[in-house]
Amino acid sequence: MTGRREVLKALAGVGAVSLGGSLPECLSRAIAAPGAVEAGDGRVLVLVRMAGGNDGLNTVVPFTDPLYSKNRPGVGLGRGSLLKLNKSLGFHPAMGGLKGLFDDGRLSVVQGVGYPNPNRSHFRSMDIWESAQPGAETFSDGWLGRVIGRSQFPDNATPAMALGLDQLPLALRGAGLSVPVIKDPAQLKLRPGPAVEARGRAGRDVVRNLAVQTSGGGLQASFVRNLARSAIDVSRRIGDVLTREGETGLPATGLGRRLEAVVRLIEAGLSSRIYFVSLDGFDTHANQQGAHTALLSELSDAVAAFYRRLSQSKIADRVLLATYSEFGRRVKENGSLGTDHGSASQLFVVTPPGRGGIVGAHPSLEDLDDGDLKHHTDFRRVYAMLLERWLKIPALPAVGKGFKPLEIV
Amino acid sequence: MGSLSRWSRPEAFDIAAAGHLLGRAGYGVRSDRLEEAVREGLDRTVERVLSGEKPGEMFRETFRETDALLKTSALEADSIDSLKAWWAFRLTESPHPLEERMTLMWHDHFATSYQKVQSVRMMADQNRLFRREALGRFDRLLLDVARDPAMLVWLDSNLNRKRQPNENFSRELFELFGLGLGNYTEKDIQEAARAFSGWHVRHGRYWFNEAQCDRGSKQVLGKTGAFGGEDVIRVTLEQPACSRLIARRLLEEFVAPGPKPEQVEELAGRLKHHRWQLRPVLGELFRSELFFAERSRGARIKSPIELVVGTFRQLGGTAAYSSMVELTAQLGQDLFQPPSVKGWDGDRGWLNTASMILRLNFASEVTGGRGLGRLGEGAAREMKSAARVDGLTRSIVRRPLIASTRGKIIREVEAAAGADRQRRVAWHMVVSLPEYQLG
Repeated sequence: MTGRREVLKALAGVGAVSLGGSLPECLSRAIAAPGAVEAGDGRVLVLVRMAGGNDGLNTVVPFTDPLYSKNRPGVGLGRGSLLKLNKSLGFHPAMGGLKGLFDDGRLSVVQGVGYPNPNRSHFRSMDIWESAQPGAETFSDGWLGRVIGRSQFPDNATPAMALGLDQLPLALRGAGLSVPVIKDPAQLKLRPGPAVEARGRAGRDVVRNLAVQTSGGGLQASFVRNLARSAIDVSRRIGDVLTREGETGLPATGLGRRLEAVVRLIEAGLSSRIYFVSLDGFDTHANQQGAHTALLSELSDAVAAFYRRLSQSKIADRVLLATYSEFGRRVKENGSLGTDHGSASQLFVVTPPGRGGIVGAHPSLEDLDDGDLKHHTDFRRVYAMLLERWLKIPALPAVGKGFKPLEIV
Repeated sequence: MGSLSRWSRPEAFDIAAAGHLLGRAGYGVRSDRLEEAVREGLDRTVERVLSGEKPGEMFRETFRETDALLKTSALEADSIDSLKAWWAFRLTESPHPLEERMTLMWHDHFATSYQKVQSVRMMADQNRLFRREALGRFDRLLLDVARDPAMLVWLDSNLNRKRQPNENFSRELFELFGLGLGNYTEKDIQEAARAFSGWHVRHGRYWFNEAQCDRGSKQVLGKTGAFGGEDVIRVTLEQPACSRLIARRLLEEFVAPGPKPEQVEELAGRLKHHRWQLRPVLGELFRSELFFAERSRGARIKSPIELVVGTFRQLGGTAAYSSMVELTAQLGQDLFQPPSVKGWDGDRGWLNTASMILRLNFASEVTGGRGLGRLGEGAAREMKSAARVDGLTRSIVRRPLIASTRGKIIREVEAAAGADRQRRVAWHMVVSLPEYQLG
């Protein structure tokens, strides 16, 4: 593992830290706190949300099943174009990058994932996935939010971060610690303004000092004050690392840029353990072929390049990446060369080598639930694995009782 | 006595209370207008809020001409960015800010995006419909939205055919526009979709495509008949869930997030009593005990539009409209391009690390006179630092600061040289206060 000295050197090299001057408080805490890094061997979880409901049946295709081509005369993929995983399953042709990770024994395809009484509203189903509370009336916190607290992450000021999003996803809400949401790293630079300029160097903390009051004004006021303080700290701590120029080899796509930011932060030795990114647009109701191909290649190319870079930096084995979508799509295509909202689908998990493979059977295309695939694996078993077996923190607050972790890692 | 009963202490309508009313019902006003409102009292101020200000001939003329010029040029250039700037102009300058605020509320409620509609004219027409019913009637609005060309394109109405019903509009009609989750079944959606089949758009206009209309019998929300779309709208409006949904929306917009069920119930009752007319309902809300309650004040997180438009409305000056809408888009509120049919999440969803930094940078730039236009009217007056800070706090933060924070601001203002500098430092400090993000 990279030592404190190496991290400092690396940061000094990019101008993030002046070795002569003082280290920003939180950064120094992140680097100097051995407990925070050693628990779980500095393992990192990267979540990629595929928003809109990915058509799983055209992502991992059961090409030997006659019901596949029968239900999908217009949008179905030809057997010859697929990237074969085994005798009956093949990847969409745009997924060469993920096929490479599969061949390297790094990629698990977890099939038939879902939850009981599936909901076909985007918002509701996404809320169910992100809260991990299918039966709830309203959703106030997320599965990760419930386990990101001081007790799970002592000495870690920023255990989780969301990149490229407009707002904090429900999955990360409710955290006892503040979770930064960074839409565009360039926005993180704090500008001075009249009060700061009037003071010169001493003006640096003038605005932050307005937010140090710890009580008064009600819950909303405390919320905004905490956020203002943490935003200013995050701006100082990671703004420079993120806006750094340099070749990482990741594609210049939306997801590529977001994963590039994740790479830079991990390489810089930041103590964050959970990174959340999203790829949107999977709601393919009409003429889906072009759009779906573009999305899957954006996903596949970015994830493959992400792991190439991590391998070069020799940190790939402590980074696990998992995908999810709020639902799959209906088995039978619709009348507009697209597919409508469905239920169960597959998800991907990229792990250290030797753990990859096909997990679970492909759901039957015959025994359907109102035209949709039936799930056999509850998504909370995947969450339980990510928390207990990967990050080594108790999954109970996140998923509740009765969800045995999958055993991929 | 419910919480919508009349405020029992109209004599307590002071600068802070007037700031609360004019901040919520519009986007805030300059301090001289606040003093005038206090002199006129609560009733007269609410009347002015509901009917709009009556500015002089000169202003009216200039406003009308600028409005027409900006809108026509956006349409002629077929530029959505220009249409956004036009709306920012109206939001900032209109003598009837409540009308603009309600127009924006309907845009959020019936969230439709240019991203898919791809027609500046349709987006402008839909905006005109929202403004027409801003303080009008929700029942008319719901029916007209169902035939609005931008909405028809947005929710794939042309794909809704006799033999292949498309559920997109009927699903959102129940889930988001009229009832809310849990108040209908999947079957209701399927049946309602049949009733709207043939509600198409052709040449950019609503077109009833008779050949694709399913005239068979449908069962929707417990009623059966050979329903058309009008019937589904009528049945929707009859549901108690409908008035509750709109009551909740109004309470979140004007009072506080997470209204209590009994408050929702009470306001829903008023909506029914006034037969969906919004003006009298808002008139009652703005005079109510609930509206002026301590826990309602400063309980909302300002939307990007409230923050940016409100800063210009409260501190005066001339705004650069196209830069304003670029900024609100970066802050998460891109006019005419909401993130999804669900609209903007609002409240705490507005704030995150990056948007907080952007909001603080907005404070720096706008008070420093860089970008976004010029803040403030006339020359800066010499005044005592404490009086300057207290005056600003009272009118735009609307609640006293704790002594240590007040002291910090006064010290910074005193350290600056000259009246203009002092004024800018005071603005910068107050607009950077976390409390300024609340309204």
